[in-house]
Amino acid sequence: MSRRPNQTRTIVLLVSPAFIFVLVFFVLPLMFLLSQSVLPADGGFTLTGYVDFFQSRVSRIVYLRTLRLGLIVTGICVLMSYPAAFVLARMPARRRSFLMSLVILPLMTNAVARTFAWLIILGRRGMVNQTLLSLELVENPVRFIFTETAIVLGLTQLFLPLMVLPLVSAMENIPDDVLEAARSLGANRLITFARIVVPLSSDGLVLGATLVFTGSVTAFVTPAILGGSRLLLMSTLLRQEAVILFDQQAAAVVAVVMISTTLAVNLLLRFLRVRQV
Amino acid sequence: MVSRWMYTSLVILYCFLLGPFVIIFMASFGANATMAFPPQGFTLDWFANVFETSQFIDSFWISLQLALLSTIVSLIMGMPVAYALVRFQFTGSGLVETVFSAPILVPGLVIGFAMLNFFVLLGDMQVMTGLFIGHTAILFPYSVRVISASLRNLDPYVEDAAVSLGARRLRGFLLVVLPNMQAGIAAAFVLGFITSFNNVPVSLFLSGPGVTTLPVSMLSYLEYYFDPTIAALSTLLVAFTVVLVQSAERLLGLSQFV
Repeated sequence: MSRRPNQTRTIVLLVSPAFIFVLVFFVLPLMFLLSQSVLPADGGFTLTGYVDFFQSRVSRIVYLRTLRLGLIVTGICVLMSYPAAFVLARMPARRRSFLMSLVILPLMTNAVARTFAWLIILGRRGMVNQTLLSLELVENPVRFIFTETAIVLGLTQLFLPLMVLPLVSAMENIPDDVLEAARSLGANRLITFARIVVPLSSDGLVLGATLVFTGSVTAFVTPAILGGSRLLLMSTLLRQEAVILFDQQAAAVVAVVMISTTLAVNLLLRFLRVRQV
Repeated sequence: MVSRWMYTSLVILYCFLLGPFVIIFMASFGANATMAFPPQGFTLDWFANVFETSQFIDSFWISLQLALLSTIVSLIMGMPVAYALVRFQFTGSGLVETVFSAPILVPGLVIGFAMLNFFVLLGDMQVMTGLFIGHTAILFPYSVRVISASLRNLDPYVEDAAVSLGARRLRGFLLVVLPNMQAGIAAAFVLGFITSFNNVPVSLFLSGPGVTTLPVSMLSYLEYYFDPTIAALSTLLVAFTVVLVQSAERLLGLSQFV
């Protein structure tokens, strides 16, 4: 495209409305939030909010639990998606596009509806308990809700599509010839998978892991329904500080820790992806 | 290369992804109010209850308005950005891209909380305005990305031809580029609408007295009642989504943009 003298003006005109919108309505409130976490109501500057956060047993437990569950969910999603994504990527296009639209469906349904199903499955009179009771494996209903297992199940179901989609699109690009070459040169299935498929789809894996992990550590609905106030994660802790305890500074600290965590993970994984190339 | 255990893993994946929907569907017709599973009897009472609960009806209209408005605004403002990013090479394009992908990196709950503190509590902003701003901001990344993808598929020479034949840039864009991007715009619209319509984290803090979005009111209903009404409402929403997503997929190939 030819360079024209008024090109800069055109670009500024095109970009500035949305750019200003994002700066004023998105960046500015976040800056204000950051300042709330270090500026107490009575003036001055203090880092006591952060010191308190990392010294308090409760918030430390909540933070570590959030990270731990995020890692577990990511791990389960990888294990569940990897072989399945490979099958999907090798399918004829028509069948694949139908199956992929079924993967997207959960992503397009609101989290309350999707998490609600787990209450029916895991509840006191839910599916699992009815089965256990009728098989006389237990005498009284087992409490599944408000456990870490429930949260992990809910989050895994919620974020699986975010792992499957990038994996399938990365694996689609692996030519059949490469796999056949590996096989004909004597590699068995497992070696072909480990030495050819995994390295060639690592981009999708890293992207999927980023999405699932950051999604899990910031999700609100699932921990709110399946963990409640008894089993807090960072998101439900933020809500508790802000709405129930009315501690704006503590809430702002929780929020800043959440942002920093997701940004750090994103930068780290982006760095990993760049290094591979 | 594809072996039997891989097919097994595919079946497990789909059971896990879609099983909960089957359960919600069954539960929404069950006569038993205590949600025992498997449900006993058959009733449509819970569906009737959805339509009799004014909290759901009111919040449905709010969610609908909000989703339409914020999607349209994010598209109108996002489209020129996508155009600039795809058609021009300029210093600062990296910064622009970063700024417009930022709303996806920041947790929705934090966005809602920051906006509540700054605009509603400090700036005395109307609740609905706050919701609109929050939703528009989180939709920019989707609009810009989907529109960019669809612009990249379009041969720039088509537009250059129009310009060299005497059309001004804007006219060339409106008459040549825009009609060729219909699928991309429609896909961005569906994606944006669904993202806004389903959003909980951003809306949670920004919902105020009398102004609540549908997913948030479903969540607060669950705090007080545990009956199949939510299952019935979820079934309706899933049906609505299936129709929307399947037709978008048929017509536009939605999955390539997600």
